[in-house]
Amino acid sequence: MSLLTVSNLAKRYDSGGKPFAAVDDLSFEINPAETLALAGPSGSGKSTIARLVLRLIQPDAGRIDFEGSDFLALTGAALRARRARLQMVFQDPLAAFNPRATVARVLDDPLRIHGIASRAERPRRVAALLERVGLNAGLAARAIHEISGGQRQRVAIARAIATKPSLIVLDEAVSALDVSVRGQILELLIDLQRQERIAYLFISHDLGVIRAVAHRVVLLDAGRIAESGDARAVIANPQSAIGKALVAAAPRLTRNRP
Amino acid sequence: MKRLPHLFRSPEAIAGALILALLAAMALAAPLLFPGDPQAIAGPALLPPFQDWSLPLGTDRLGRDVLAELFHGARTSLAVGLAAAAAALLIGALVGTLAGFAGGLVDEVLMRITDAFQTVPSFLLALAFVSIVGPSLGVVVAAIALSAWTGPARVARAEVLSIRERDYVAGARVIGMHPLEIAFREVLPNALPPVLALSSVIVAAAILTEAALSFLGLGDPNRVTWGGMIAEGRTVLRTAPFLSIVPGVALVLTVLGVYLAGEGVVESTAMRRSLS
Ligand SMILES: Nc1ncnc2c1ncn2[C@@H]1O[C@H](COP(=O)(O)OP(=O)(O)O)[C@@H](O)[C@H]1O
Ligand SMILES: [Mg+2]
Repeated sequence: MSLLTVSNLAKRYDSGGKPFAAVDDLSFEINPAETLALAGPSGSGKSTIARLVLRLIQPDAGRIDFEGSDFLALTGAALRARRARLQMVFQDPLAAFNPRATVARVLDDPLRIHGIASRAERPRRVAALLERVGLNAGLAARAIHEISGGQRQRVAIARAIATKPSLIVLDEAVSALDVSVRGQILELLIDLQRQERIAYLFISHDLGVIRAVAHRVVLLDAGRIAESGDARAVIANPQSAIGKALVAAAPRLTRNRP
Repeated sequence: MKRLPHLFRSPEAIAGALILALLAAMALAAPLLFPGDPQAIAGPALLPPFQDWSLPLGTDRLGRDVLAELFHGARTSLAVGLAAAAAALLIGALVGTLAGFAGGLVDEVLMRITDAFQTVPSFLLALAFVSIVGPSLGVVVAAIALSAWTGPARVARAEVLSIRERDYVAGARVIGMHPLEIAFREVLPNALPPVLALSSVIVAAAILTEAALSFLGLGDPNRVTWGGMIAEGRTVLRTAPFLSIVPGVALVLTVLGVYLAGEGVVESTAMRRSLS
């Protein structure tokens, strides 16, 4: 049974008075421990889909089932509780945290909010989370703005796994990182997936990265699915016009899934 | 404290800070230098200043020590000004944050209330409030706060509107944080700097409003206030002008000091921000 099922999802925005569909009659599913990539040119609706799936914005139509129940039906405290299972990592790890926060606070919040550990136990949990993502536990006391971009994205991943989610949405989560750091973060994500059976909705415009981490890919064009299927097959032999254009625009597609 | 030296870099800011320090010293020293009731009779009535060195600034119409009144008045002015401004900033920040963060109907209702308060001239509002509830220190503070919170509320709301679209607010929602915690713990502290930048203007206005209320006889009757002293002196303005001039000058200097020091702080934080 699939973990997340999105059916006929639609979101319209107003642009200069006339409505246009940012996401149009979109359906896809993600299985447990699977990585589904969303690719498409800028403005094709990738971030909108991420925000819809995370219930940060309301769809105009469609249905989202998550872990076997109607996710759109949840409100208030029930929704907040369920959010433990569905997490997110943003593109810009600096913008994703309160500028006043420390690493410890950022990791303590989800543990506190979901009652995962007692107040006395939380510092130990925070240290364990930091170590799980390959960081030194001593980093906890530092302010978010004091650590490097790569460290910050590791903290973001630690925060996302703090509540033991079954699905993490990553919206261009490695796009802002330089190449060597990007590789390490991708390896961390793959490792976490193997160990904890976390599924990813992996949004990227970089087909090289997608080929390295994704099992399946959905190519978007103006809010609609242009093409979907096995990630390597689609990238090796795109059928749609947008797929061909994306492959042609991609830098050397040399890396394989490790 | 390490920041203090470069908070006051410009000469205006230093002058402002010195005036405020002097004022604070006066307020703190008042009960030590002039123990007992400053409203008690201390000598002959209408003694001019610099005549009797035990009463350096002379006495008023009832023979009260003007210098003692001035010191105790500094206490009232500062206390009321600071308390009222703090209350106004607090109310404004809370209302503005709620309105901006909640949006929709809550925003609509809160902003209409803010409009309503803003259309009534603030001094009339304070005046009406004190005349209805009765003059006491607490009521005067509440009245001034009531007439001054709308500015901070608008500034806070505008700031919150831009902050709430940031990724980190979405991130707080994703981890399941309660909306009230997001509003007041994640958003409000980051919306505060421009709100706090209003504090010097608000403190200055609060001190003036307090003086004006006292001048009209609506201050706390058990406290010496500069406004009350000016009102007292008014009846003998021709024969003993110093009775109005002394507290008047004190008032002007205070407002000036607050304003200059406040501007200095705002400028240096703006500078620090643009540097970083
Ligand atoms: N809040 C919004 N209001 C109006 N239009 C929006 C809003 N958010 C996104 N859009 C529009 O929807 C389209 C899809 O945006 P987005 O999902 O961010 O694309 P992507 O992440 O693929 O670059 C774009 O044309 C964008 O301008
Ligand atoms: Mg995007």
